[in-house]
Amino acid sequence: MTQTTASTLYLSDLIQNQRGIIQSCNAEGMLKQKLLSMGFIPGTEIMMLRNAPLRDPIEVKVHNCLITIRRSEAALLRIEAIC
Amino acid sequence: MLKVALAGQPNCGKSTIFNMLSGVNQHVANYPGVTVDKKSATLKFQGEQFEIVDLPGTYSFSTYSLEEMVAKTFLLDEGTDVIVNVVDASSLRRNLYLTFQLLELGKPLVMILNMMDIAERRELEIDIDRLSKMLNVTIVETVGTKRGGKKREILEAIAQAGKISISEPFKIDYMEFETFILEIEQMIEFDSTISKRWLAIKALEADKVILEKVNICKETIKDVTSNIHTKLDLDVDQTFARIRYDSADVVYHKCVKEKKQNLDTLTAKIDRVVLNKWLAFPVLGLVIYLIYQLSIVWGYKLTNYTWPLLAALKNGIVALLPPPELTNVPIITDFSIWMVNSAIALLNYIPIFFILFALIAVLEDVGYMPRMAFILDRVFRKFGLHGQSTLPLVLGGAFVGGCAVPGVMATKGIADDRARLATILTVPYMNCLAKVPFYTLLLGAFFKEQMALMMFFISTVTLFIALIIAKLATSTVLKNRETAPFIMELPTYHLPTLSGVLFRASQRVWLYVKKVMTIVLAVAVVLFVLLQYPGVSDEKMTDFSQQMDSALEKFDKTVKDNLHYQHVDQIAEVSNLVNLYDNYKNQRMLTKTKSAVASLDAEFLAKNPELFPLVRPQDKDAREVSKAARRLSKTNKRLQIAIKNEKITNSFLGMFGRALEPVTQYAGFDWRINVAFLSSFAARESAVATLGSIYEKGKSNLSAEESLAQDGAYTPIHAAAMLLFMILTPPCIATMVVVKLQTNSYRWMLFAIFFPTTLGVVLSILFFSMAVQFSWSGLELMRNFYLSAATLALILSLFKTKQSGWQVGKSQ
Repeated sequence: MTQTTASTLYLSDLIQNQRGIIQSCNAEGMLKQKLLSMGFIPGTEIMMLRNAPLRDPIEVKVHNCLITIRRSEAALLRIEAIC
Repeated sequence: MLKVALAGQPNCGKSTIFNMLSGVNQHVANYPGVTVDKKSATLKFQGEQFEIVDLPGTYSFSTYSLEEMVAKTFLLDEGTDVIVNVVDASSLRRNLYLTFQLLELGKPLVMILNMMDIAERRELEIDIDRLSKMLNVTIVETVGTKRGGKKREILEAIAQAGKISISEPFKIDYMEFETFILEIEQMIEFDSTISKRWLAIKALEADKVILEKVNICKETIKDVTSNIHTKLDLDVDQTFARIRYDSADVVYHKCVKEKKQNLDTLTAKIDRVVLNKWLAFPVLGLVIYLIYQLSIVWGYKLTNYTWPLLAALKNGIVALLPPPELTNVPIITDFSIWMVNSAIALLNYIPIFFILFALIAVLEDVGYMPRMAFILDRVFRKFGLHGQSTLPLVLGGAFVGGCAVPGVMATKGIADDRARLATILTVPYMNCLAKVPFYTLLLGAFFKEQMALMMFFISTVTLFIALIIAKLATSTVLKNRETAPFIMELPTYHLPTLSGVLFRASQRVWLYVKKVMTIVLAVAVVLFVLLQYPGVSDEKMTDFSQQMDSALEKFDKTVKDNLHYQHVDQIAEVSNLVNLYDNYKNQRMLTKTKSAVASLDAEFLAKNPELFPLVRPQDKDAREVSKAARRLSKTNKRLQIAIKNEKITNSFLGMFGRALEPVTQYAGFDWRINVAFLSSFAARESAVATLGSIYEKGKSNLSAEESLAQDGAYTPIHAAAMLLFMILTPPCIATMVVVKLQTNSYRWMLFAIFFPTTLGVVLSILFFSMAVQFSWSGLELMRNFYLSAATLALILSLFKTKQSGWQVGKSQ
């Protein structure tokens, strides 16, 4: 309950198979547009699927699509974890 | 003429639809991956002319990426009549995001619901009628990979759509934003076929291109946006995106019944293995190994079967040319043989290319390419490259032997501009197939015992060099190039179709032949001239002809009392005999079975009833003539080679090679080696051929390796310096052409020529001098070079690239 206020999670913090809801997107310009058009929209459920074998990038599921994103960019998406 | 724009998100099968509509007679530069330039085709249907333009795949319509820019500018400026929106039925919801923005434009739209087969497999039930009514568009269902079926239906729908005019464009309710949209709409005093509302929405999204077009300044919009921020506490971009997605959700839920809740379980299952932490690399290794094995190794074997065809073609052409009269070879013959040789050297690679291109097409269709990038991105990013650089580097010959031409072509798919250019510049450092004979020649001559170790050095050092170059280039000359965020879709796995794969493979091979051949042949002409002129001095020439005369006299003396003398008592007859002898020998070498030899003999005999019995003697006298003819042929060959050498020595290229000697001598290269390297620029094969012919001293029993080793002029460290230069040597002409095509700039092409050359000269001088100074062996030279490259690469990987990730909030 107090989880969200106590710890701000970012997409890059999720562990495998953890799910969350996108809260906001700290990116700007091209990156923001790209994220939005690919479905990274506040209120959307997102699931962390796996790390790449070398830990970076990561693979996530948004809107039933599989997307790979580097950790540096994933760190811009604030997430509220489910469960 | 009806102007039709084909739009859709990436991976929706748009290109397949375009190919289906336009047929084979299109002007398309269809490289693997993203197409930034737009392709177009014209066709006639029911008496009407259609011009179909294939726009690059985009997820949305912002101004930020090149693809979106191209797509949007086209839709804005070129008065499109009908928009054809290709939609991936299996991920309808996300595709609708773009569809809405297209609908809002206010132009007639035909929707192609593609990949219906996958939607069915996922048990998605789409209510087409309802969708069609909700969006007020015509919908055609297709399975893109099945060719031809729906072409007519689609064209009819387009023709129909061309006749209607839209009075009230499709509208999404943007809720709180409606008042602001209206406000901006009233500011626009701009007449256009495009809906004003659309322009207002885009203006509110602060789209630079639109703002310029409708003549509203940035500040006005900024005021409105900050107003929204304070009043409603809403971010404009995010809200627009949210509303569009919500609307897509509404449409989706009304029109689609999902029987299975989850996404393709098959894809998830495959990914669990293919992208597994421990298995990903072995699987990747296996895939790369298979591509390499199937295309390069097997393709090379296949050329054993195609080569005789090319050789026969060559012989056929040579037979049409005026025959040489002993040492006197007509220039037209010389020239034609040179051109034919240059052409077939390239044609010889077609089997390899065909297999390679087919395999790439398979990988593209299956959906493994982006996964490859996913696995390797981290390694490559350290050096300024991109996960998607893997394939180009492999094709270029990351192991022993590849070809830079398809390698550079495959860079087209890399989204990040800086990484793409860096990849283009590094692919030519990979070991191209044609370098291999050169390596084996030198290794065979100087490093017989250490061959395997040397080959290992050669084949792996190139990777280190490529990484170093990439790192250096991206942190210097390419520093300010645009980079792109690494966000990629991993599409669900598809099964490729045979026809689709073959179609694309042949399309790409044809493109290669067309674009590369013409230029290679043009350069071959230049090289021919440079090697042929100014030619041998008269003095030398008389010397050669005297030698020939004495050989002829000797021949005449031997056969004077022969039964068959009447057939060879004229110089022309003797010349014919020698030609016939050589000709027969050449053809005989290509014939293997006994019956083939018999038929070859019969054929020759029929054509040359008088002379052939002297070539293939049956009686004692004939044998004597034949023996003398063989001797004469040998002398003739020796003299021809001597003349050729003399020609090269005196040629412009020879002069150039000698002019470079003062510099290259420090690397141990004399002018002969310079000439070999210079001529290798046309095609790498010529390095060996030139070197071979320079060293072919007529002691014909010696192989090129042996005569090189016995020449005495060179030591193993010379050879190692040559190898070092060859490793770094500039790409061949064919590669240059594709570098030019892919970078669209002559400056990069020139850079790609001169940078490696300079580097090669400098490094071979450095290592050669050190080897002389510290009396290293050739192997030590190579080992030290290898270790330095590996160490440097390792050190560079520790430095962070300045913009290693993607800079937040960058704008032009």
